[in-house]
Amino acid sequence: MIDALHPIAAAPFSVQAFSCQKAGNARSEYEDAWAIRGSDSPTRCRVAVADGATESSFSALWAALLVESFVRGRRTGTEFFDRLGAIRRLWRRKIRGRPLPWYAAEKAGKGAYAAFVGATLNAVNHGWRAVAIGDCCLMQITGSPADRVLLKSFPLTHSEQFGSSPFLVGSVRKPDDDPLPHLRMSEGILAPDDMLVFTSDALAAWLLRRAERGEPAWDAIGPDGIRTQEEFEGLVAQAREDGTRNDDMTLVRLTRRNGIERGTT
Amino acid sequence: MYSAEISRKNPGCFIFLLDQSASMEDPFGGSADRKKADELATIINKLIHNLSIRCAKGDSMYDYFHVAVIGYGQDTVVKSAFDGPLTGKDLIPISELANNPLRIEDRTKKTDDGAGGLVEQTVKFPLWFEARHAGGTPMSSAFKMAAEIVQRWVAEHPKGFPPIVINITDGEATDGDPVPEAKALGSLGTDDGATLVFNIHLSSAAANAIELPASDEGLPDKFAKQLFEMSSSLTPFMIGRAKELGMPAGDGARGFVFNAQPMQVIQFLDIGTRPANLR
Repeated sequence: MIDALHPIAAAPFSVQAFSCQKAGNARSEYEDAWAIRGSDSPTRCRVAVADGATESSFSALWAALLVESFVRGRRTGTEFFDRLGAIRRLWRRKIRGRPLPWYAAEKAGKGAYAAFVGATLNAVNHGWRAVAIGDCCLMQITGSPADRVLLKSFPLTHSEQFGSSPFLVGSVRKPDDDPLPHLRMSEGILAPDDMLVFTSDALAAWLLRRAERGEPAWDAIGPDGIRTQEEFEGLVAQAREDGTRNDDMTLVRLTRRNGIERGTT
Repeated sequence: MYSAEISRKNPGCFIFLLDQSASMEDPFGGSADRKKADELATIINKLIHNLSIRCAKGDSMYDYFHVAVIGYGQDTVVKSAFDGPLTGKDLIPISELANNPLRIEDRTKKTDDGAGGLVEQTVKFPLWFEARHAGGTPMSSAFKMAAEIVQRWVAEHPKGFPPIVINITDGEATDGDPVPEAKALGSLGTDDGATLVFNIHLSSAAANAIELPASDEGLPDKFAKQLFEMSSSLTPFMIGRAKELGMPAGDGARGFVFNAQPMQVIQFLDIGTRPANLR
């Protein structure tokens, strides 16, 4: 049907998100977060994925605040990370209201940490600008279906780069913990058949490893490869059988709508 | 090997064997005002504290680890070192430990004020047991007790990360040769590897330590060589952590420190209690 609020020229992007918690964990223990805003806007769309650190407490809350704040705002890059005060205060307020045993209070005092990647897409010229900190990744896949290749992987480009201890952005401001020197920026243009995927580290590392081994990676995560949560869980199971670390996994996939789809819901 | 994930379903098992014999009243590392027993009690209480913080998640606690602290000393007694509500309990989940300290003291520590200065801050310091020093050194019996605990553990967790046993002593066993008992303990294990047995020898003098040796060359006496022989090789993950801390750890490095100073005990415990990444 025709979307009355957003006529033909609107809804330039199609975005789907899939997520899966660590094997053996409850869904409530999922500590990645993703947010999407403006996929049907005629001007711009924002997408973000964050990965709350397992080793810190209340990191799911911190990851959610980061992505929501990013997609709801207009700031990009250093401006966004230079003004984390409001969400840091919000994180603290939500923790302070709880009666915590000594160990939980002490751990919370150390702050929560998360990796992050977020991008703004221009709906007119299809340009994108991204900012990342840590090992959440954005990948631009180009080419027609069944013949897709990786055009760019950002900020990490090879599977061996994962697994170290990257700098993560913290919910508590500390003197030696300034995220700004660790920010990475990138940009590009999304061609008609291209897709952008945003992932947390374990899935990104596995996809890059498959590609490095010459195994098919990109069609499996395209619109024909994953259409449902069950299909995503199948992909996650395959990754874990292939030796991928047991971690939360998140995939947000963004494509340009083609002429047939445009303006429909 | 030594790659099993540590999770709540397959937790890690740490057993600390503490020498509580009379000689532990001696000064530690040449410091006149600190007894080895006092310093060791502080270090192990702080270690349990840190393990609790590592396992704290949100407002609860994930039981990634089960912990026993076995003391050996007075009247050749070997028993759980825990005091207070945990008296008599050996291997218990970290949540039970965290929720049942003997007492929680308020202590002050100096922290960075963010403007180049230091500010005093009151911190909670939970204690699970008091320092003790009396009698002989029934180390062999302590290893025997550890083996009994480990046998139970590996039967219940056959696929988990193998138990880690860390013995801390300042001297020689007074109840026979501990090497066969340590070897028997090290022969128990899971599908993921044999039990890891590590030893820390505490120094009475401010002498140089021998850290993580790969051979017994240079060790001064037969008791040091005994402790070396009783020690397992470090896992690759632990060797990586040792290098991060600036400790010499080459191929074949054993989990053994001779003539350790307090800081080396703390560093070694950090290495020895990091089996792998937590889920």
